[in-house]
Amino acid sequence: MTKEINDPVAMWQKMVGDMEKGFNSFANQAMSSPEFSQVVNRAGGVAAGAQKQLGELMEKYLVTMNLPSREQVTALAERLQSIESQIGEMKSILSQMAASSGISQSFDEVSRPPRTKRPPSESGEQK
Amino acid sequence: MNAPTGLDFASIPERIQSEVQRAIQRSIKGVEYFSTSGPTLGSTPKDVLHSRGTMSLYHYRPMSDEIYRVPVLIVMATTNRGYILDLVPGQSFIEFLLKRGYDVYMLDWSAPRPEEKSLRMEDYVLDFIPDCVRRVQQDSGEQDVSIIGYCFGGVLSLLYGSIHKDGPMKNLICFTTPIDFREMKLFSNFSDRRYFDVDHLVDSVGNVPPEMILSSFEMLRPASRTVSQIQLWENIWNDEFVKSYRMFDRWATDTLPLAGEYFRAITKDLMWDNKLFNDTMSVGGRAAKLEDIKVPFLHAVAEHDHIVPYDAAKHLIAKIGSEDKEEVMLKGGHVSLVAGANAVKRLWPKLDSWLGKRSI
Repeated sequence: MTKEINDPVAMWQKMVGDMEKGFNSFANQAMSSPEFSQVVNRAGGVAAGAQKQLGELMEKYLVTMNLPSREQVTALAERLQSIESQIGEMKSILSQMAASSGISQSFDEVSRPPRTKRPPSESGEQK
Repeated sequence: MNAPTGLDFASIPERIQSEVQRAIQRSIKGVEYFSTSGPTLGSTPKDVLHSRGTMSLYHYRPMSDEIYRVPVLIVMATTNRGYILDLVPGQSFIEFLLKRGYDVYMLDWSAPRPEEKSLRMEDYVLDFIPDCVRRVQQDSGEQDVSIIGYCFGGVLSLLYGSIHKDGPMKNLICFTTPIDFREMKLFSNFSDRRYFDVDHLVDSVGNVPPEMILSSFEMLRPASRTVSQIQLWENIWNDEFVKSYRMFDRWATDTLPLAGEYFRAITKDLMWDNKLFNDTMSVGGRAAKLEDIKVPFLHAVAEHDHIVPYDAAKHLIAKIGSEDKEEVMLKGGHVSLVAGANAVKRLWPKLDSWLGKRSI
């Protein structure tokens, strides 16, 4: 037995909810077809191709303007990343050395709690 | 905020008064909404243990007097940011784990840089995850590590676990993790090999742009964004609703690009050939069979998950080789399973009771 809805606000909310479900369901059915996939992917392929061509055109323009090309900036970024990685490695080695020689770090060993925790059922704690 | 379904005529004046007050509040709060930023997300204290390109490893500072012996490494999905698991105090999965005595680490992702377009599945499964596991071992001083993978982070964790049979993974927990990619019906149709030229896409754009990832998620429920905005306007007088809306909306739209080669592998190996389900998956020439995972295993799935439907996830539990394994289905959707008010009551306590006794 369905409950009658008299409240206009509740009716509006129910209507919006039903519309959402109905539209989503309808759209999902439509998007499940191979035709949809074909159309969307054709459009996507054209957009990706256009993006690639635009990128190549921009590179030529940048060379003309005597500005660094994307490849050059990327190469710089790669070098920077390599430096970052090396710094990370050095930091890691330094942390290990500091730990082994007992030097405290930003979050030092002293402040770490012991690894002795037992699950509540074993230790008798209340959950 | 539920409106009453029936209407008593005697209460009409009160109802009108209430609606007028809400209309006034909407105007005031509406201005506030656009003039303020949302709540600060991901604020649980943490240290960056390691960072390399798209990968970051965080260690969260313990919040209890004693912690379990086995540390926990959370592997986040590569399409989204990890702060969904650390929203705000009281609604943070990370904070919950810390307060329950877990030592928590997270492998989180940032947008891959253009030069990282060549990152392959091998880089994620055979380099990033093992590297983080090693660093967790070093930092914690423990050999065993439990892994929690969310969504595609679960897929990466499964691949890692099936290849690294001899450990050091102690327990594996997957949240909403697909393995049968044919059953992700709409994604499967979007990437139909007859029409979707993944090589052309990746060769053209390098990294797959976040807009494309976001659109494909939103197309699963095309009316929902508009409806959620209508609901926001209706409820803008309600501070809690607005706070929750802002948190989830910000996260959902904060989608990451995917490294081109990695996306190519996902499309060909998983979407097209369904290799993980068919037991033919390999990464870097190393076979990845789910039956080789023998550690205690928990899979949490959501009853109303529209991104990873149950049919795409249900065979995982049977395929895992562990003797100690469990699947739990909880009410909620793909995101509300792990974050928000429902997760606080459902998934988190379940996870704690399962993992606690396996973390000593």
